[in-house]
Amino acid sequence: MFSFTQEQKIFDIQGISFGGQPGMYPTVLFAGLFFKGEPDFDTAKKHLQTISELSKQTGTPVIPDVFIRKAEYIPSILSFLENELSKKQPFSVDIIDPLIKIEVLCQLAEKKLLARTIYNSIHIGITQQERDALRQHTPAMVIVVAFNPKDTSPDGKIEVLENGAHLIETGLFHVIRDIGVEKILVDTAALAPGENSGAAIAAIPVIKEEYGLPTGCAIHNVVEKSRWLSGFNQAKKTVDAASNISIPLFGGDFAIFGPIENAEIVVPLIAWQDILVSEYTENYFGVNPISSHPRRILLQ
Amino acid sequence: MKQKLKTSVIGSYPIYLDPLELMQHYFSGNEPKWERYIEQAVHDMTTAGINFVSDGQTRDPFIQLFTRHLRGCRVRQRTEIVGPIRYDHPITISDQVYVKGLLPPKVGLIGVLTGPYTLMKSSVNSFYGDEKQLCFDFAAAVHNEAELLQKHVDFISIDEPFFSNELPEYAQELIGAITTGLSCPTRLHVCGDVSRIIPQLVDMPVDILSHEFKASPFLFGLFEQYSCSKKMCIGAVRSDDVTVEPVDEIVMHVQKAFDIFGENVIQIAPDCGQRMLPRDIAFQKLQHLVLAGGRMNG
Repeated sequence: MFSFTQEQKIFDIQGISFGGQPGMYPTVLFAGLFFKGEPDFDTAKKHLQTISELSKQTGTPVIPDVFIRKAEYIPSILSFLENELSKKQPFSVDIIDPLIKIEVLCQLAEKKLLARTIYNSIHIGITQQERDALRQHTPAMVIVVAFNPKDTSPDGKIEVLENGAHLIETGLFHVIRDIGVEKILVDTAALAPGENSGAAIAAIPVIKEEYGLPTGCAIHNVVEKSRWLSGFNQAKKTVDAASNISIPLFGGDFAIFGPIENAEIVVPLIAWQDILVSEYTENYFGVNPISSHPRRILLQ
Repeated sequence: MKQKLKTSVIGSYPIYLDPLELMQHYFSGNEPKWERYIEQAVHDMTTAGINFVSDGQTRDPFIQLFTRHLRGCRVRQRTEIVGPIRYDHPITISDQVYVKGLLPPKVGLIGVLTGPYTLMKSSVNSFYGDEKQLCFDFAAAVHNEAELLQKHVDFISIDEPFFSNELPEYAQELIGAITTGLSCPTRLHVCGDVSRIIPQLVDMPVDILSHEFKASPFLFGLFEQYSCSKKMCIGAVRSDDVTVEPVDEIVMHVQKAFDIFGENVIQIAPDCGQRMLPRDIAFQKLQHLVLAGGRMNG
């Protein structure tokens, strides 16, 4: 269990808070929607309903992490978000192609959805056009992926945030400040097994202590990429879900847990882990969980 | 018989890195591939006709290239010394082996190492109470790398730019800690104004001295005052100026070097690493260097 000496920033988006000392706020979960690429809106509606209910039951906030893989999907996906999510529900847009990112920003601005948008993500591959688009259509919050291809250690992640590891002209923090976003979530960039994947977890307390920023990662990616685990089909799904508990255990604030289909396993699991952390951090460090914390809701 | 003048580089070469491609490797769960960046550097050097090429030091600036891999160092904004310096694993060897496989016949390979004094001066020391001890621990690590490197390269070049700012009284001992026991030729490259340290340089335990004679042509006159039996690598095109020197100008410059050092002039090179130049300029400078070398060799 951790408590940090550095003051811990707390960022709010539409009533969901990220950050603070461990045990104060529940871990925020990002649930991958349209994970496979082509959107299936009927199934997505059911899944959104499920995560909404799970959140109410447990107190664990769940934010849809919306994958947009092709430009042709943009209008229908954004209309879906506009019409099907409650008006206060934040969401993240999870996009790789810079051109699709730019188009999505424009359309989010037109639909006045930027105040609910978490931009996933800013990283060393950011293009000048993407920076310009972000300055013009600035989302409420961004996820910065601290991937350093030269150095996968926690120090390497700090290097890329600070000076870009000589891969880009400035550090990623400078890029984000230049765009004008204050609410930053640090993703510690989980890698495939055998490539220092544990460093993504080890980096969580290091980065929180260094910067006091809300920090987490998509540690389930490590499980997904594991070859040896593929020989244990039944266990793989359990390990995939269970991997997420490392994040709150190491003081982290959010987990990008993969397909939304896994929410029914992951949400209670994280609520359970948050309770465990909270019990200790309140007793030892005097950190009081907020009223919507799973410990307050589930252990009445 | 007069030895033919060879063209060489110092170390770094400018290449275009594609961070977006590196991220795409990350998103697809693959290890980032660096070979194509090394290939760009080697391609330019060999296409220009350089006799002794390097790997271009594309992975990192010359400090982080080594400190990132040494125990006791951590690289954040800068290199920080947080524990005793220890050599843990080969650092540049696999790249050198890869480069060797890319080279046409008769093109030689330089193993470029960053010198211990420069490593020390470029780091934030939070562990050692004694700078000299830190330097010698760096030297031991660099020596370990050199021992492995000599099996794959034609000569080893030690890059010590900080010597031109400040030469420690133990400089010769320090360089000796790297070169003692090596069986391949060694070169010491000190860029900047070395006019105050020439007496010490000419006694360094290396085979070849390399300095930036093009940006500091007054060094010719100063070297003339000392007895220098070392082989020389003459900086003949600038690394800090985008103007591409005409071949005639390079030939005249090298002729001046021959007038002073005679047949000890065995290499011509850029003044320093070319990392800070635009790639097309760096390439043209190498081409002109090769043409000038050809003219000198008749």
